[in-house]
Amino acid sequence: MKRLLWLAVLGLLAAVSCQQGPAPAAEREIKLGIATPLSGPSAAWGTAHARALELYLDEVNAAGGVEVAGTKYPIKIITYDHKYVIADAVAAVNKLLSDDKVKFISILGGSVVAALEEQLREADVLGLHIAYAEGVVHPRNPRQFSYFAMPYETTRAWAWVKEKYPAIQNVATLAPNDETGWWSIKVSAKTAEQTGLKIVSREFFERTATDFVPILLRMQAAKPDIIDVTASPAGSVGLIVKQARELGYTGRFAHWGQVNMEVVAKTAGTAAAEGFLAHGYVDAEFLPPAAKEWVDKYLKKYGPPFDPTTLDFSSGGFALVAGLKEAGSLEPTKVAEGLRKARFDTPWGKARYGGKEAYGIGNQIVYELPISEYRGGKAVLATTLPVFYKE
Amino acid sequence: MPAELLIPSLINGLSIGAVYIMMALGLTLMFGVMHIINFAHGAVYMLGAFAVYYFSTLWGLNFLFGLALAVLLLAALGVVVERVVYRPIKGGLEPTLVALLAVMIFIESGGWLVFGVLDKDVPSVFQGLVTLGGVSISVERLTVIPIVAAFVLALYFFIYRTRLGSAMRAIEQDREAAALQGVDVHQVNSLVFAVGFALAAVAGGLVAPIFVLNPVMGEFPLLKAFIIIILGGLGSLPGAILGGVILGLIDSVLTTALGFEIAFLTAFLLVILILLIKPTGLLGRA
Repeated sequence: MKRLLWLAVLGLLAAVSCQQGPAPAAEREIKLGIATPLSGPSAAWGTAHARALELYLDEVNAAGGVEVAGTKYPIKIITYDHKYVIADAVAAVNKLLSDDKVKFISILGGSVVAALEEQLREADVLGLHIAYAEGVVHPRNPRQFSYFAMPYETTRAWAWVKEKYPAIQNVATLAPNDETGWWSIKVSAKTAEQTGLKIVSREFFERTATDFVPILLRMQAAKPDIIDVTASPAGSVGLIVKQARELGYTGRFAHWGQVNMEVVAKTAGTAAAEGFLAHGYVDAEFLPPAAKEWVDKYLKKYGPPFDPTTLDFSSGGFALVAGLKEAGSLEPTKVAEGLRKARFDTPWGKARYGGKEAYGIGNQIVYELPISEYRGGKAVLATTLPVFYKE
Repeated sequence: MPAELLIPSLINGLSIGAVYIMMALGLTLMFGVMHIINFAHGAVYMLGAFAVYYFSTLWGLNFLFGLALAVLLLAALGVVVERVVYRPIKGGLEPTLVALLAVMIFIESGGWLVFGVLDKDVPSVFQGLVTLGGVSISVERLTVIPIVAAFVLALYFFIYRTRLGSAMRAIEQDREAAALQGVDVHQVNSLVFAVGFALAAVAGGLVAPIFVLNPVMGEFPLLKAFIIIILGGLGSLPGAILGGVILGLIDSVLTTALGFEIAFLTAFLLVILILLIKPTGLLGRA
């Protein structure tokens, strides 16, 4: 009898364990993997990247998650530091894809995404990247998106520079000696030349470099009016500005990517950074209302100082949620289709995906681009570049 | 190259070369006396820079006083590493090499946790520009040269004019014979670690106001120091000075004249050439 009772209990347990119950929590969540530099010279970008996505998606999760086809899913963020080192980035992305099994991924770093391009293409994963590299936004990568304005868009600021500061004629460029630097400067120099400006010097540096004096001496001999440091990290830019001023350079600097001006001014000094022109980085007091709301949320979560880089770097979160809602599916391919149709708000205003005429596929985020000028220790909103890709 | 480029690039080369010399002297001293390759040297350089950051920038001490404190602190760390890491291993080349590599990883990883991920700055100490023949040169970079020269002279005096220096040279020539003559080998080993670490701390402390600080800032100068001691000769102090000047000038003058790729390549080609023609280095002994 006892034996029969035991068999019955075992049978019951087996039946219960085989029964289809509600999916465990892990299956009802959307995993977003982030691979970004949280240490090293590019840590300022990586920290802003991780925080910007976390800030918005925590808010979404607090409201129950993102609603996809009538079901609410929380978004779980898994972040790894890749130090802006390709080998570390490959390891981080492998871990995200194989161990964490993410279907959505966000990587910062043009050289990094370029190195992982084939792997990302083969994997069933939707990418929302901050990556300056040729071919990242390309018809061969239909599930890979850029959620940060590329040099094709940002370097249109050269036309504004020419009009606003006609004395600027000669441009020198200085960028990291990698895929990101080569491509960014190629695009920037081409746009500057099309605008009627003259490129008088093109130089590159290793990301580990700290002594820029020998390169700057070379550049100074070409007598530039402005030095374009697009794609250079804030730590390096601060040293470049400081060392150029030590050599007696009195011209301006421009960065058409994204650079943390607080880091630059801290290293170089506010007087040395005066007149610095940059895409995106605007101090809180000069922001439009929607962006100010973002500032308040940021300060509440992370405390001061506010990092203006997070304004642009948050767009990936807004895009992902909009794409999921539009697609009504968790399948990366369907979400990619949804993203190309979605319209969404970001702290900088209305945004969408487009750019087919430039990239051959509409996987580039599009919104009005802010350009700042560093005046008296503040990054002031100097102008806004209008959207130019058609609907 | 026109004079307005040559003069500042020569001075910059000597200034950077001076920092390389401080790095290389410590490395070559430890190799010469104890036959060890200190992979933790770059990490100690970083700690020297951060010690100056804490003493002079955060706690408001005078820069030179902060630098002196940093040097003493790192010298003490050298004694601790000798006692805790080197001595139990009993001086085997390979185990010591691996152990010091572990020390490097430990210090750098700890650096990320303690110092944070964002670069730190030490404000300029010797501000201003000097104009030579219409060319601006940073006073800060110029100042590095006499400071390093003073440290090099002090090191030479210590090694060649003091009893402890004689003991170090005796151990360098024949460890067992020196021990038989009553030289306390453990004490001298501690001293070499202390001096080696102190020299790296001086280098780190001097560049703190010139560059930015982060936990991996010592990796590149360590690479340069290795190139220098191969160029100059492993274990040779004059070789380290000569190698430092050569590499500093290559890095500065060749980069200005031909670009950084050529300068980088030239340094390595020179090392290969030296190894082929004179494997002991320019001033090294067989």
